[in-house]
Amino acid sequence: MYVYLYDPFLRKRKFDSTMKAIETRLTDFGIAGKIVRLQQFTNAQQLIDQEIAKGATTIIIVGNDITFGHVLSRAALCDTTFGFIPVGPNNSISEVLGLPIGAGACEVLAKRRKVALDVGWFNNRYFVSRLHINPSNISIKYDDKFTVSGRDGNPMELVVCNLQPFTWKNAKTHREVQVHPQDGKLEAFVRPVLGKKIIRYVYDDPSIFPFQEMVVSSKKPFAVEADGKISKETKITIRLAKNRLNMIVGRQRFF
Amino acid sequence: MFQKPTNDMEREPEQNNYSDDAVQTVVGPSVHVEGDFSSEGNILVKGSVSGNVRTSKQLIVEEGAKISASVRATDAIISGEINGSIKVSHKVELTSSARVLGDISCDVLAVEAGALIFGKIIMKQLKGAEATRKKTAPKAKTRKRATSTPSESEA
Repeated sequence: MYVYLYDPFLRKRKFDSTMKAIETRLTDFGIAGKIVRLQQFTNAQQLIDQEIAKGATTIIIVGNDITFGHVLSRAALCDTTFGFIPVGPNNSISEVLGLPIGAGACEVLAKRRKVALDVGWFNNRYFVSRLHINPSNISIKYDDKFTVSGRDGNPMELVVCNLQPFTWKNAKTHREVQVHPQDGKLEAFVRPVLGKKIIRYVYDDPSIFPFQEMVVSSKKPFAVEADGKISKETKITIRLAKNRLNMIVGRQRFF
Repeated sequence: MFQKPTNDMEREPEQNNYSDDAVQTVVGPSVHVEGDFSSEGNILVKGSVSGNVRTSKQLIVEEGAKISASVRATDAIISGEINGSIKVSHKVELTSSARVLGDISCDVLAVEAGALIFGKIIMKQLKGAEATRKKTAPKAKTRKRATSTPSESEA
């Protein structure tokens, strides 16, 4: 049995036609199922556990990158197959998974090409898309081997990517550079702050380190944002949980 | 196409569309790395590294970058400063801005005019040649002439 988790933003009128097309296509393929509309404070893990107990075999997330991260960061422990139908703007993970946006994703779901995905883990929490630490005086130790710090003790921004690509503007060429993370290792992007303008920071070119385990520590607490959820920490250990998530992916996936 | 999917469909083996060259570790210009630094992909150093650097692929040290320990790689292009030995299994390229304070061991060496080297250069293909050269070289004369010069005898 298929269960579809709809993001609340899909109630907007502008998505009506897309949702109708998706539902028709799912019925055509014979994979239509129960629809659950998510609320702001819905506990995804509890909800999915309930649906599995009722006989659900496949959970399909319908929405964008935020919905995807919100559901899977809490539901990574659930033992079931997940799928994703990307709808609307802010969809970069779908490209990595090889899923077309809108009704085209239904065909990929019908083919059921399953792959076990790696999930990031930090301080007893999972993250699927990315983890972000705003510029702060942090020290980073990779795989218990080497330490990375800013040259003159400058604060650093840290982004750890799992599925969501990382984009930055090259300081010299002023071009946007996008790096697609790969599966099998997490990638950390470290950008030291060179200075501060009126509104925003001026960053240096990023350093890129693929890793399996990393410890980030600081004397002062720093804000950690993982899949949209923010918490304050003084020390975090980031690891890769291998083959944690069963996901239906497309043929044009990046890994 | 319209067949109803079943759960027991076999999992596809994982593919990897990334080329190996795409896997790269970058040490940015204002970042300092301390400790032994190793990677299975290419390494690009723009900042400073205090510790051994090892990679099974290519190492690129950009101008202004500094490595203070030994380096091991398959290929290396060096434009920065290295204070330590370089062991490369294939080719080392030193550009005009390169500064190497240590021994270089490689198969192929390309040095651009202006590069600075202070150390031994060992090419693996000629590694056994040093011993054979010592054997075949004529022995130096150890005896000194017994006769003394007139100035010495006067003194």
